[in-house]
Amino acid sequence: MVLFVWSGVVLSAPRTGGTFVIAYEGNPISFNPDWKTDDMGAGIYPNIFSKLITLDVNYNVIPDLAESWDVSKDGKVYTFHLRKGVKWHDGIPFTSADVKWTFDKIISAKGSAYNNLEKVKEITCPDDYTVVMKLKEPYAPFLGFLAWYGTYVMPKHLYAGTDWGTNPHNQNPVGTGPFKFVEWVKGDHVTLKRNDNYWAGKPYLDKVVYKIIPDSNTAMQAFLNGEADYDENRPGLPLIPVLQKTPGVRVIITPSPSRYYISFNLRKGRKTSVLLVRQAIELAIDRNEIVKKVLKNFGKAATGFYTPAIPWACAPDVKLPAMNVEKANELLDKAGYKKDAKGIRFTLDLLYFQESDWADMAAVVKENLAKVGIKVNLGEYEIATWIDKVVKAHNFDFALLDGFQGPDPDNLRLRVGTHGTLQFMGYSNSEVDEALDKGSQIADIQKRKPYYYKVERLLARDLPILPLAEVVYVHIFKNYVHGLPIEEPGKVGTGNYYLVWLSK
Amino acid sequence: MSGFVRFITRRVISIIPMVLLIVLINFFIIHLAPGNPAQIISGLEQPSQEVIKALEHRYGLDKPLVVQLGIYFKNALKGDLGYSYIYSEPVITLIKERIGATLLLTLTSAVLAFISGTLLAAWSSRYKKGILDSILSILSYVLYAMPSFWLALILILIFSSNLRWFPTAGMFNVRLSLHGFSRFGDILYHLFLPVLTLTLIQIPVYFRVTRSSIFQVSRDEYILTMTAAGLERKKIFNKYVLKNAILPSVTIFGLTLGYAITGSALVEIVFAWPGMGRLMLDAVFKRDYNLLLGIYFVLAVCICIAILLTDVFYAILDPRIRYK
Repeated sequence: MVLFVWSGVVLSAPRTGGTFVIAYEGNPISFNPDWKTDDMGAGIYPNIFSKLITLDVNYNVIPDLAESWDVSKDGKVYTFHLRKGVKWHDGIPFTSADVKWTFDKIISAKGSAYNNLEKVKEITCPDDYTVVMKLKEPYAPFLGFLAWYGTYVMPKHLYAGTDWGTNPHNQNPVGTGPFKFVEWVKGDHVTLKRNDNYWAGKPYLDKVVYKIIPDSNTAMQAFLNGEADYDENRPGLPLIPVLQKTPGVRVIITPSPSRYYISFNLRKGRKTSVLLVRQAIELAIDRNEIVKKVLKNFGKAATGFYTPAIPWACAPDVKLPAMNVEKANELLDKAGYKKDAKGIRFTLDLLYFQESDWADMAAVVKENLAKVGIKVNLGEYEIATWIDKVVKAHNFDFALLDGFQGPDPDNLRLRVGTHGTLQFMGYSNSEVDEALDKGSQIADIQKRKPYYYKVERLLARDLPILPLAEVVYVHIFKNYVHGLPIEEPGKVGTGNYYLVWLSK
Repeated sequence: MSGFVRFITRRVISIIPMVLLIVLINFFIIHLAPGNPAQIISGLEQPSQEVIKALEHRYGLDKPLVVQLGIYFKNALKGDLGYSYIYSEPVITLIKERIGATLLLTLTSAVLAFISGTLLAAWSSRYKKGILDSILSILSYVLYAMPSFWLALILILIFSSNLRWFPTAGMFNVRLSLHGFSRFGDILYHLFLPVLTLTLIQIPVYFRVTRSSIFQVSRDEYILTMTAAGLERKKIFNKYVLKNAILPSVTIFGLTLGYAITGSALVEIVFAWPGMGRLMLDAVFKRDYNLLLGIYFVLAVCICIAILLTDVFYAILDPRIRYK
């Protein structure tokens, strides 16, 4: 039965069977999905575990173990209606007790989502299939955070009464997801097999294997040589066009809510504490050049102060100014920083990560600022040292970083709120804090908008941060792979391979 | 033989304070490095102070450094190297899981490089200043200067991507579930390119050292005497020249063995070989103090044992040493 014809390949109905091999960057740290923040576990958990609700590839909240949910009028009580007949991989029925245990544990043992659950006052289970979460105050971003990370429901019958940090099931997980755990050969691969009793239906694949290949060049060769079907450890951006031209390979590029930006040190004594200096830097940096030279056009120049991937919270009238070297020079003259004999006004320290494309980006910034007489000292550090110097010791003038801005604009609080954990600039604006607080207490998106617009206007005025470019995600896979989450928005959560099938 | 026994006993005893001193120095150096494991575990995106504090408390990182050191030594003497902060598994378990893969890789290549480097040197030295000798000398310089990770990638491009003779990455063919002998064969098949890389990189050292050593020994007066006395050249070479010329190579081989557990990190990364080198680099970047200390502890013991074995072997090869 021919269903549709697409890019020259005739596809039939999804085929059952096959092993799906993913070239994967690193080893997970454990299979306790809620304890520690683990980027490498995050790609595997969605196939073993389920959440109450989850995020699809467009960052919309979709049902997972909770079939539906209601929010009370005052925005303080969330009631989740669970699916019936769901079983853990070991055959024990899943109930609301598992949900309550999981969330109580995340809060009491300070799991990775602890911050996001701060507003939870009490969790109750009126019956086996209903979970009620009462909040201390209305909190609109709650669903987004619940669907994001560190909130996988864990089996109470295996964890209750044990130390969840050393429970043997951290090495041999039991979940409710589409695939069951088979083996983990440390540093080499993780193997999962089909869960025939998955609540959404039987997955197509027999097996999913995460083959750990830390070097992205090797990962690309292994992918091209047929040892992997999906290259999750993408090579450097200059190699993407090569892959795009390779027969049998598909490359899909999707926008992401992550962006590159500069954080300024606003503390007294720093040149960057002078607004005119920050405004001059804003005018002197060529964001298009960064996109072209650093991101090889995989990405977009930033235009405003929030990610366009979550458009409802983007103020249409708050725009970054176009590059203007002349005006930047004027502002610096006005600020009283004259050029010396060598054409240098002053020197700033720029700190950035050792990884990936950061050095190129820093080089462009350095070159741009040289044109207005600002000399830039480049400081490249591996992440642990960067955190020490920038976040803790505040020993920097400006720093490059990126970061996920979703799933809700309330996340701006982390980066620009007075008490934000990533607000290391020394920025404190009560108007920003107030707008963020108010915006988080209303459920209606239309009514929330003005508060975030206001925050963005204030950021454009104060310039504690300077957005540079939007990150894109690059998905690289063989053309016989179908049903990846990027192709099934609204149906499956990110990273869930329940609908994946192979036409090979 | 009592001199020999005394020699070894003295050597073994000297290892203990050495290892303790190394652990002590490592402990402070590691803690001096900027960065905090609890901060790294809780992530850059959402680092919550409460989460960081809870983790610091759990791992005793909130105690004074001296107290931490005391606890570490107390446990280490009982054979407990502690828990990894990142993986929350005993350090010993983590090391055990990885050490086999690494030793398979490094020991195989060390032995192959030692044998082939020495043989090539012996062979080429017979044709001193000939074309073969020149070619091998130049080649050994080229290989010596070559970064291992680069050679590894080139070998992948040639043998995996173009010729399709060998697999690109990892230790197993994950599409098949092999058992028993076929699983072992599969591992050897995956082992070929990483071992080839490491062997090629190490051959030049043995080759050059043995070659110059052979030249030197050949010029010694007792060799001249034997030649003059009419002994067969081949016999002189095999029995007297090579045996003496091999000594420096044995030293290098011994030291290589000492670094066998972590020395191949770059090659392990390129070939996605699940070994100790990668475990160590990960631990460095994540500031997993306990794991790092554990690996360094094992490394220190290995190096000490390797040096000891080298000395013993030396003493056997050259009796003068043990009576000094």
